[in-house]
Amino acid sequence: MRRPLYLIQEALVNLRINRTSVMIGIVTTAFTISCFGLFALLYGNLKNLAGTLQQDIEVVAYVQPDASDKVVEGIRQRLEGEKAVGELSFVSKAQALKEFHQQFPDESTLIEGMEENPLPASFVVQISPRFQESDSIEALAERIKQFPGVEKVRYSQDWIDTLALLVSYFEFGAIVIGVILAVATITIIANTVRLSFYLRKEEIEILRLIGATGSFIATPYIIEGALLGACGGALALGLLKGVFEFFRLELNASGWFSGLESVLTFFPLQTSLFLVLAGMLLGCGSSFISVFGLMKVRNETA
Amino acid sequence: MIQLFHVSKFFERCAALQNVTLRIEKGECVLLTGPSGAGKTTLLKLIFGAEIPDEGQILVQNRNIARLREADIPYLRRTMGFVLQNFKLLPKKTVFENVALPLIIQGVSRAESKRKVGEALKAVGMGHKHTSQTGVMSAGEQQRVCIARGIVNNPIILLADEPTGNLDTELTSEIVELFKTIHARGTTVLLATHNQSVVEDMNGRVLHLQAGRMVSDKGPAA
Repeated sequence: MRRPLYLIQEALVNLRINRTSVMIGIVTTAFTISCFGLFALLYGNLKNLAGTLQQDIEVVAYVQPDASDKVVEGIRQRLEGEKAVGELSFVSKAQALKEFHQQFPDESTLIEGMEENPLPASFVVQISPRFQESDSIEALAERIKQFPGVEKVRYSQDWIDTLALLVSYFEFGAIVIGVILAVATITIIANTVRLSFYLRKEEIEILRLIGATGSFIATPYIIEGALLGACGGALALGLLKGVFEFFRLELNASGWFSGLESVLTFFPLQTSLFLVLAGMLLGCGSSFISVFGLMKVRNETA
Repeated sequence: MIQLFHVSKFFERCAALQNVTLRIEKGECVLLTGPSGAGKTTLLKLIFGAEIPDEGQILVQNRNIARLREADIPYLRRTMGFVLQNFKLLPKKTVFENVALPLIIQGVSRAESKRKVGEALKAVGMGHKHTSQTGVMSAGEQQRVCIARGIVNNPIILLADEPTGNLDTELTSEIVELFKTIHARGTTVLLATHNQSVVEDMNGRVLHLQAGRMVSDKGPAA
């Protein structure tokens, strides 16, 4: 028990004597993890949003104005026979007009003068969860277009596809930026730890002389790196949470994208802990790189 | 205990030791003498594995130093004690912490450490100063602490490199007395010095080095 306690104490001494570079190390780690976390946060929320929108996607099949009741019934039966169709509802010409008046009261005058209701009847198709991929929706729309009595099919897939593409770009961007910043952080933490190593060079020589193994000498530096990385990770988490809450409040206050703020989520507990752990591992790895090779017991003593 | 067979060591083609052969038995007191640059420190470094001989073989406790793996060297050093001219103490740590360091490295329990450190400090007359910081102590006191650290784990061999180099005549005599006591307990002592009075007071076997060569090997005076 005494040896581990000694090694932890030595790591804390390292952190204390090397304060400035330790602070630089913590801020750099926090910056790296924040950048990576920001991308991860955007990626996660966009993915959530894309998923929510994908669930709400509808295919609207407009019926030809002169279609008879029999033709309309034929369209319904064929739609009900489609596996991809979840819920199906029919909007008659009269209902369409009523909804138009409700949704666009200011524009009602545009069609008031017309003798005949210009709005077509339509079938609104909710997609079954198993068929919500963009290819399945596109194939369904193509089939519906061929049904007798269907004039036009509309669905809002394009911009959902764009959103999905954006999500994949974010995924790629997070990985690239994460790797670049991780390398930068490893270099900075490694130099911080190496500095404490050199500041205590004489002490290390004494330890070597009296029989300390390489791992005994290296352990306080590895602990130092781990503590430094964990502090950086925790700081990054705090920063991200602050930025996230600020953004959510601003979004709420602005009134733009109404309802979007309820879809936005911060990292769950596991991911938050993972970020701190990632900082810790980054610190450990950097220290290991830094002190590995400085552990020689020959040609260095006395 | 220590055997050297035709050992040579070169630093950038300059011979620090040339063709040295010697044998030190358990319990001997050996004084390594010679002027600065004669190779005394190099010989000590070869014995504790900080250097590898370029020629010849060194056996320490039947272990061949040249063939010893890097990872095994710390374990060899744990059987030795070291006393150096510049003390090599940790100035921000207390006397107790400095002396206990070899025991912490070896994983000795706290109670056992306390007992052993107490004994070692008592042996060097520093029992009353265990809470003092070594950085503020006099040279004589620091050397006593260094000796206490050297003997705290009951080493088989005590290696000392110019242990009185920084001390005045009076302190030198005190330190010599300590070495004599340690040797009398049965510890093998190998002490490098260029101080003739130390050589005379210790009255041990004297090996004289000159420009890396062993020029004489004399037993203790009767």
